[in-house]
Amino acid sequence: MSQENRIPVTPIWNHEDTSRIPFWAYTNEDIHKQELQKLFYKDHWCYVGLEAEIPQPGDFKRTVIGERSVIMVRHEDNSIYVVENVCAHRGMRFCREKHGNAKSFTCPYHQWNYDLEGNLQGVPFRRGVKQDGKVKGGMSKDFKTSDHGLTKLLVAVRGGVVFASFDHDIESFEDFLGPTMLSYFDRMFNGRKLTLLGYNKQRIPGNWKLMQENIKDPYHPGLLHTWFVTFGLWRADNRSELKMDKHFRHAAMISTRGSGGKDSQTTNVSSFKESMQLNDPSFLDVEVEPWWEGPTAVMMTLFPSVILQQQVNSVSTRHIQPNGHGSFDFVWTHFGYEDDTQEMTERRLRQANLFGPAGFVSADDGEVIEFSQQGFEQKPFHRSLAELGGKEIEETDHMVSETLIRGMYAYWRKVMGV
Amino acid sequence: MSDNWISSISIDDIPEDDVIGVTVNGHQIAFYKVEDEIFATDNICTHGHALLSDGFLEDGEIECPLHQGRFCIKSGKAMSEPLTEDIKTYATRMEDGQVFLKFS
Repeated sequence: MSQENRIPVTPIWNHEDTSRIPFWAYTNEDIHKQELQKLFYKDHWCYVGLEAEIPQPGDFKRTVIGERSVIMVRHEDNSIYVVENVCAHRGMRFCREKHGNAKSFTCPYHQWNYDLEGNLQGVPFRRGVKQDGKVKGGMSKDFKTSDHGLTKLLVAVRGGVVFASFDHDIESFEDFLGPTMLSYFDRMFNGRKLTLLGYNKQRIPGNWKLMQENIKDPYHPGLLHTWFVTFGLWRADNRSELKMDKHFRHAAMISTRGSGGKDSQTTNVSSFKESMQLNDPSFLDVEVEPWWEGPTAVMMTLFPSVILQQQVNSVSTRHIQPNGHGSFDFVWTHFGYEDDTQEMTERRLRQANLFGPAGFVSADDGEVIEFSQQGFEQKPFHRSLAELGGKEIEETDHMVSETLIRGMYAYWRKVMGV
Repeated sequence: MSDNWISSISIDDIPEDDVIGVTVNGHQIAFYKVEDEIFATDNICTHGHALLSDGFLEDGEIECPLHQGRFCIKSGKAMSEPLTEDIKTYATRMEDGQVFLKFS
């Protein structure tokens, strides 16, 4: 094996900048475990859901942060709590329902009972049992329920979206986003109540970072996605901007739809199908909404856990849920706003057909992520290239650049110490 | 119709400062004796469905053995978490050393 084909025992980033990304970043299980600790369980706010998913007191939703199971629940006082789904007694993942309504949580194993904030309320036979006039067994006198609650997470709610953190020393959610990302966040979640339209769920056999990169990569949509290039929703000749927070971890791809059809940009693009027409033109029955303030698509990547999507009238969150270095679950929550007309709700639902595991557009992304991972596993000593638009990291006023990927890996290297 | 007083248990069968569970007229009832006063409530906890008669009587409150929820035996009021629902109480009457219970 030649020097350059050797897989390093301790992975070393042997390129000076982040325009080349070593495959071990996607294939190494130790790196993956460190990512969970450093990116999902510490210093980062992670997405857990929408307030609209738990409208009534006692409503809960089971979800994950990284690979840790958590429960988001609405308290009787209407505030939202997030607790870890691990019993304080024997460590069991006690909650198995995806959604429900509860007055308290009880682990089925030994019926330890917790209130909705995660405080331990009661322990069966804590005082022992009465037998022949005597009390036998039970917990020792110094056992305090207050020492044995569920792990409680810090919670941030903004615009109807719920984020949580295992790390209680974390900066505020607003500081975590930074002013530029916050302004795009507030554009989409501007205080109107959200309505839940439905879910798509899929398991993609690839490293979770590939999904972040997919939405930090404006190069591929106009090439890979026949649907986008043919009908003009996302093409290289659309007016566009690429923006980041100061750490380069979060990003927004902002684009305004062109007229579609044939022009100089499409002549050499094989995915452009001039003769292709929609059987049902209502899929592109786009209605401009005032809150867009111009752009027809804003795709935000909030590192590490979520993508916030506006593609014309379709608005969704996409939750990244890793399971091992080579696989993640991808959960799409499609929503609307309480002041939507029935027509608008139907329009949002129709356009949601672009997305999800079998979406007109997104089916392509699931496949390329799977096949990328296969390439990485095949030769983990190799590296990928992200040099479109140069080797620097900078905001741009066009989309012919991989700068957001370079930015994400500059941040990743700093946090991971590689 | 009479006022539904049902003969249930001998006063002497209720332990002093403690609780006993008895089925009366098809209902599971907990009887309590505190300083020669008799109280009666439903015996099944409104929370975890355990028998209160397996629990602990202290300061006029019965503590459920399962999750330590406490009810006032006099009023049936739920006194602590995790209880959210009070427990039903019954009026009692003594006659010839026997406890009569009023069902309504």
